Amino acid sequence: MRKAVLPLLICFIVVGCATTSLPPVTTGGFVFEDDEKRLWLRSEEEQEVLNDSGLIYEDEELEVYLNEIAKKIQPPEIFEHISFNVKVIENPYLNAFAFPNGIIYVHTGILARMENEAQLATILAHEMTHATHRHAVEQFRKIKNMTAFLATVQVTVGGLGGGYGDLAVLLGTIGTVAAVTGYSRELETEADMEGLNRIIEAGYDPTEAPKLFIHLKKGLEEEKRKEPFFFGTHPRLKERIRNYETFLETKYQGQRGGIKNSETFLEKIDKLILDNACLDLNLGRFKIAERGVAKYLTIGGNDPKAYCLLGEICRERGEEGDKEKAKEHYQRAISLDPSYPEAHKGIGLIYYKQGENALAKKSLETYLSLSPGASDSAYIEEYIRHCSKGERR
Amino acid sequence: MKRYLVILLLLITGCAPWVKVGGLYKSPPHNFSVELPNGWMRLNTGDRLYITRDGVLLQNIIIERLNIEKPLEHTKKKFSKDMLPQEVAEVVLDNISSDQTVLNFEVKENIPARISGFPGFKVVFTYKNKDGLWLKSILYGFIGDEWFYGIRYTAARRYYFDKDLRTFEKVFESFRLIKTA
Repeated sequence: MRKAVLPLLICFIVVGCATTSLPPVTTGGFVFEDDEKRLWLRSEEEQEVLNDSGLIYEDEELEVYLNEIAKKIQPPEIFEHISFNVKVIENPYLNAFAFPNGIIYVHTGILARMENEAQLATILAHEMTHATHRHAVEQFRKIKNMTAFLATVQVTVGGLGGGYGDLAVLLGTIGTVAAVTGYSRELETEADMEGLNRIIEAGYDPTEAPKLFIHLKKGLEEEKRKEPFFFGTHPRLKERIRNYETFLETKYQGQRGGIKNSETFLEKIDKLILDNACLDLNLGRFKIAERGVAKYLTIGGNDPKAYCLLGEICRERGEEGDKEKAKEHYQRAISLDPSYPEAHKGIGLIYYKQGENALAKKSLETYLSLSPGASDSAYIEEYIRHCSKGERR
Repeated sequence: MKRYLVILLLLITGCAPWVKVGGLYKSPPHNFSVELPNGWMRLNTGDRLYITRDGVLLQNIIIERLNIEKPLEHTKKKFSKDMLPQEVAEVVLDNISSDQTVLNFEVKENIPARISGFPGFKVVFTYKNKDGLWLKSILYGFIGDEWFYGIRYTAARRYYFDKDLRTFEKVFESFRLIKTA
């Protein structure tokens, strides 16, 4: 009996090993494998959960722009096999990930940190390579013991901590591998190399590739922060930098210059930068939120919403000198647009807490008159009553 | 092997004893008392008291006391003693909405409230959990001394929420701090 089992076992192992490596869809003669179909179906189910979660960042113009860049990166015939589609997730952490069927999700957090279109192309090309080179199928085939694998994924997810890291709970197995753990080092290196190849073909400046990851790594180090996703982890960023620098020094030596498109890119994402700063503020990441608003202001110039958000950051942080800074920001917002209600409220709340009842009353009344249906009107009316009676809070 | 299993079961049941409740419940270590509904089940875990009748996924009332210095689960924002109730509510809502297993989060109401004589807030919100179940919550909260107190009712939005709302209101109205500074 044992004699019969052993050769069979060897056969299974050999067959199993032989089929893990798949030709990329780019090589032609693409055959859609059975297990690959199952992975795609599972991907669709996982995407349904994500798309229906309320976490998708709604900006049609931005989505069109991102998909135009994706089209520049891959030749049209690839789209016959994989219908790439780029979507944005409202999540301030650094990440982007692709499902095997070509649906790519990019977090607002990583988009807000990018400087130009070449950097965006770098991330998209890396993620698209995971799909064109069928990395998910390869990775799943290598894993003989699926139960153990799922358990590992669950442990990884369980250790991510709270906040926006909890997104991993929603992702499902395929999404978690793509977004959190990433693929094997070899497959990630292949995605870097082929990705770089693609962006050079598309005419982008390849020197922007390592710059993006150096910038992200510097941010993590400066703020001593830990993030749960693939592109927010220190060792994975170091790997990306090393790979891109090596390719630029060897295979692509002398390959410099190309499209950057900073202006167009920043114009397309300026609203997202401010929205992402709000998410960072919700998370209590005051410094990062402040940087986001500063970046927005350098792109978009004077905007009452941005100054008001700076006021909110200072007011909520409450460190020494912050109240005065907050007042200045609110004042700036009011000077830019006297009918911007939130700035009147912010400054009114500071006056109220400082016992400056007359000033508080005036600002809060202005807020209510500008925003009569405000959801917090019951609080504000109560503060105004206190101020009218000359009561200290 | 069996011996370890028995020890494990003893440990699990020892750590999580759901007990039937009803009537006055006092928790001097947490400095509050409250009238609990008859026939519901109670579980104490550290800073929180859970009660439910049909299971925590369908309906639950949580009374929690957190030290204002203690980091929150989903936001780095912190409570402070000088916060207005509205600001306390903002921190609480940011903490809940930053949890990405809380989907389609929407605040329906956010108003001032008095809780056991303290100025506080009442927020009503709806959301969908990761399994797609729509839930509705009412949360009352305030800061007393060094502590944040929260009294929260959550139930499946359809059927269960309305069914036990009056029970929750009675629990809320009976909530008292044992000692006040």
